[in-house]
Amino acid sequence: MRIAGFVPELLRHLFKKPATVDYPFRKLEVPKDFRGTPFLHPETCIVCRACERDCPAEAIEIVEVNAAEKRFKMTIHNDRCVHCAQCVDSCPTDAMEMDDKFEISAFSRWDLKEEWEYVRAVVKPKPAAPAPQAAPAAPVSPSPVKPSESET
Amino acid sequence: MKFQIPIGPQHPALKEPISLRMTVEGEVIRDADLRLGYNHRGIEKLAEERTYLQNIYLTERICGICSHSHTTCFVQGVEALLEVVAPRRGQFLRYLVAELERVHSHLLWLGVAGHEAGFDSFFMYTWRDREVVMDILEMISGNRVHYAINTLGGVRRDIDEALRTKILDSLGILRARTDYYFKLGANEPSFVGRLAGVGRLSKEDALALCAVGPTARASGVAHDVRRDDPYGIYGEIPFEVCTADSCDVLGRTVVRIKELGQSYNIIEYLLRNLPDGPVAVKAPRRAKPGEVVSRDEAPRGENIHYIKANGSDKPERLKVRAPTLANYAATLARLKNGFIADIPLIFAAIDPCICCAERTVELIDGRSGRPTVVRWSDLRRRAARRAGRVSKKRNVECPL
Repeated sequence: MRIAGFVPELLRHLFKKPATVDYPFRKLEVPKDFRGTPFLHPETCIVCRACERDCPAEAIEIVEVNAAEKRFKMTIHNDRCVHCAQCVDSCPTDAMEMDDKFEISAFSRWDLKEEWEYVRAVVKPKPAAPAPQAAPAAPVSPSPVKPSESET
Repeated sequence: MKFQIPIGPQHPALKEPISLRMTVEGEVIRDADLRLGYNHRGIEKLAEERTYLQNIYLTERICGICSHSHTTCFVQGVEALLEVVAPRRGQFLRYLVAELERVHSHLLWLGVAGHEAGFDSFFMYTWRDREVVMDILEMISGNRVHYAINTLGGVRRDIDEALRTKILDSLGILRARTDYYFKLGANEPSFVGRLAGVGRLSKEDALALCAVGPTARASGVAHDVRRDDPYGIYGEIPFEVCTADSCDVLGRTVVRIKELGQSYNIIEYLLRNLPDGPVAVKAPRRAKPGEVVSRDEAPRGENIHYIKANGSDKPERLKVRAPTLANYAATLARLKNGFIADIPLIFAAIDPCICCAERTVELIDGRSGRPTVVRWSDLRRRAARRAGRVSKKRNVECPL
């Protein structure tokens, strides 16, 4: 190749559209299974703590609020979250899910904390009439159950 | 007259924090020394406090570019300890992501080499075409950089027929562009003139200094873990080990561009022969006591993980030997008798990843120049002594 053999390529690109998009005004679509920020469906959480145990960043914290009412509080520290979605994989009842937001910066790390306070979901062995959520729950084994068997 | 000039750890010519001491005579480097430790993060110690499953995500964060290589190496070792074998479809997808990562890493390197040689258009074009691979990786795994696709006993996500077709279509674009870069990188006089003859490393030196990866292959050493010690399914995949005999930075460019072509062939083979079945099997949490050495061919060269299990769900020891560390000795040899202006180019030629390589801490006595290894208890005592001298602030709330 002679000197300036690169020039035709350069000239061709002069008349092409830019390869980038004007980001704040136009946004790229994220793919279908994008790993955004984890969130909880509190109505299906059986408090087995699999997510808390497996989280590599120790970003999930579950505390008991009221033992008699079986009320629990889950806190996701999104400032520590590494967005690996291991909590979604570990959850036996599909209570954890990832959203597709990617603009998640905040001025303070405390603004990134998310909390859910809820009554532990009861998994009925038989798919009968669904029990009301606030009803005192029968002792539930923390063993993983298949998502198809889970009920609120 | 000899001068010693320090370069780094923070220096505009270097992309990553590395500390060099150059002894120069005029423009010529007579001696080079390297100081490690600036970027040491204590990942190996941290790994001892995390379970095997959590450690996958930790080893992924050893490096941003070859994140999948580190998890592959770790997961292969842990799977051997746990005595599970990933199903075939899971293995195909694991090494598919590994080859896609090699493509994106080599395209990135080509851009960096162009940038260091002052050929910024080349840098822009290769990085634009790299986005094709990044998009594929994002579609497979859900993220651009940390794919988190490996898990104990297989991979975490499957690909569907639409994505398979899309990847095969994208390979056409990448092949055409890579052919163009080969023509350009090996023939454009200004680019070749800048790269040829810079940072020579003879075949004997490459062998003696234990160079790995494209650095060694550009010196004519046909060493590739994928062929020499096939792991996973590499034993059945047809591919060639690309080498060059020019022993300089130009040879390293040529080897990487040729490897891109081989990687496209491997990706095509994997996609065309993708078996059906599950992508993962359930793995136990605890490993029997034992130890394992796992190797894989990262884009930069041979990556080694040593894992020791003690019967619990956490490793007793994890040791990582990243390819950049193996290439340091060869790089220092190549810097000698070169010019100061070639330092960034020679360093870029090994595709250095400092955060991969920083694993050990050694203190050097400033007066005697003698290195001393400091025990942890000694460090704690020093820290306590220093903390005692610092004036205490009252009523301070620490946010953590």
